Amino acid sequence: MSVSTPAEREELNQLLHQTAREDQKAFAELYKRTSSKLFGVCLRMLRDRSEAEEVLQETYTTVWRRAASFDAARASAITWLVTLSRNKAIDRLRQHREEQLDDPFKLDALVDDQPSPAAGAETSQEYQRLERCLDELEPQQQSSVREAFFTGATYNELATRCEVPLGTMKSWIRRSLMQLRTCLDS
Amino acid sequence: MNTPADDGHHNLRYAEYVLGVLDADARAEVAHEMRSSGEAATAVALWQRRLQPLTEEIAEVAPAPYVWARIHEALQLDVPSRAKPRQRLWDNLALWHWLGLGASAVAVALLVVVTLPRLAPTPSPTTAAVAYMASTIKQDNGTTGWTATMDLQHARMVVVPAAPAALAQGRAPELWLIPAGQKPISVGMISRDQPTTLALAPALLAQLGPTAALAVSVEPPGGSPTGQPTGPVIAKGAIGAAPDAHGNKVAFVDDSHAERTRA
Repeated sequence: MSVSTPAEREELNQLLHQTAREDQKAFAELYKRTSSKLFGVCLRMLRDRSEAEEVLQETYTTVWRRAASFDAARASAITWLVTLSRNKAIDRLRQHREEQLDDPFKLDALVDDQPSPAAGAETSQEYQRLERCLDELEPQQQSSVREAFFTGATYNELATRCEVPLGTMKSWIRRSLMQLRTCLDS
Repeated sequence: MNTPADDGHHNLRYAEYVLGVLDADARAEVAHEMRSSGEAATAVALWQRRLQPLTEEIAEVAPAPYVWARIHEALQLDVPSRAKPRQRLWDNLALWHWLGLGASAVAVALLVVVTLPRLAPTPSPTTAAVAYMASTIKQDNGTTGWTATMDLQHARMVVVPAAPAALAQGRAPELWLIPAGQKPISVGMISRDQPTTLALAPALLAQLGPTAALAVSVEPPGGSPTGQPTGPVIAKGAIGAAPDAHGNKVAFVDDSHAERTRA
């Protein structure tokens, strides 16, 4: 699935609108086109295949039931879907945080070493812009923001992983977020 | 457009929410705020738009086909759970349902399938290259819950409900293959009110035989989270060769010995 072209995004929006009207074929098509992306997201955050499968299942059952709350003016369908899966994955992580700490080798075994961005995929202008802005951050702060986004770790967990005081981690992240906003919105 | 001086710290909570660094309580607070305030929801949406392009770095990974089957089952959708294969007698689920009184009835029908071409005026060379097995999956009270018929050639099993007992709300039946002396292997989720066609993976196919049994356990709608039965076993059945109309066993017919023989 590539969702970087406006036409493809629009198609997904349509499919989600049809899903809201209980069109099962549209829902099946939506799953076909987006589940690999969402599963990649879940797997990356949860690092466990069967948990990622459960969260993926929860995500799409919620999609079916709550598709009517999708508002294309606010976000594209793919953004809405990825958000939903990330939120569910984060909720899952918060439920049993202590068990998830933290074996980097397990992740390597699950997800192929991937160059960034995802191999072969064309990246969107939004992505390229975000990358440019991330590159302006201090290296340590940039990697904290990435780690936070991709693993769903709390401030506490990030501080432990990076071996810095909690206050330091908070100010790194907050400063980065403000800098990113300024850079992205300019 | 942005005024960090006045909205700075407060607005950052929405950013932190989207980034995913808040703990459970703080997340719940923001989620609550989003529901009650359009302004908060907009601020969160704006941050999603800013940060979410990062997910383009994440490689796509195709989920296993059973995930869609579980979603399908959990939502009780009507559309076929996979692309509809060509219609053959085997695919005619209505027929199996009609026949779904017990394994012997199904087996009789199978015999017709196996023997029919012999009666046909033009003999077909592939006629007998079919092997079927059947199982009557009985509940503790002795009534038949489901019948299962296995088509070895096409690596498929059709599970037809006969009179399965009701399950508690939010529970679903899962079918297991239990090879003699081994741990159960999940075959898949089955339905209480309509026939289910299940693909048989090679590992499963290899274990099918008269020493193996089928069992149904009660599980969460998505299937056992552990890969082994977690709920009570409510029905069991031995696997046998499909018996013929006289109750005699029919040898498994495959390409190597393509004759029907009486035991």
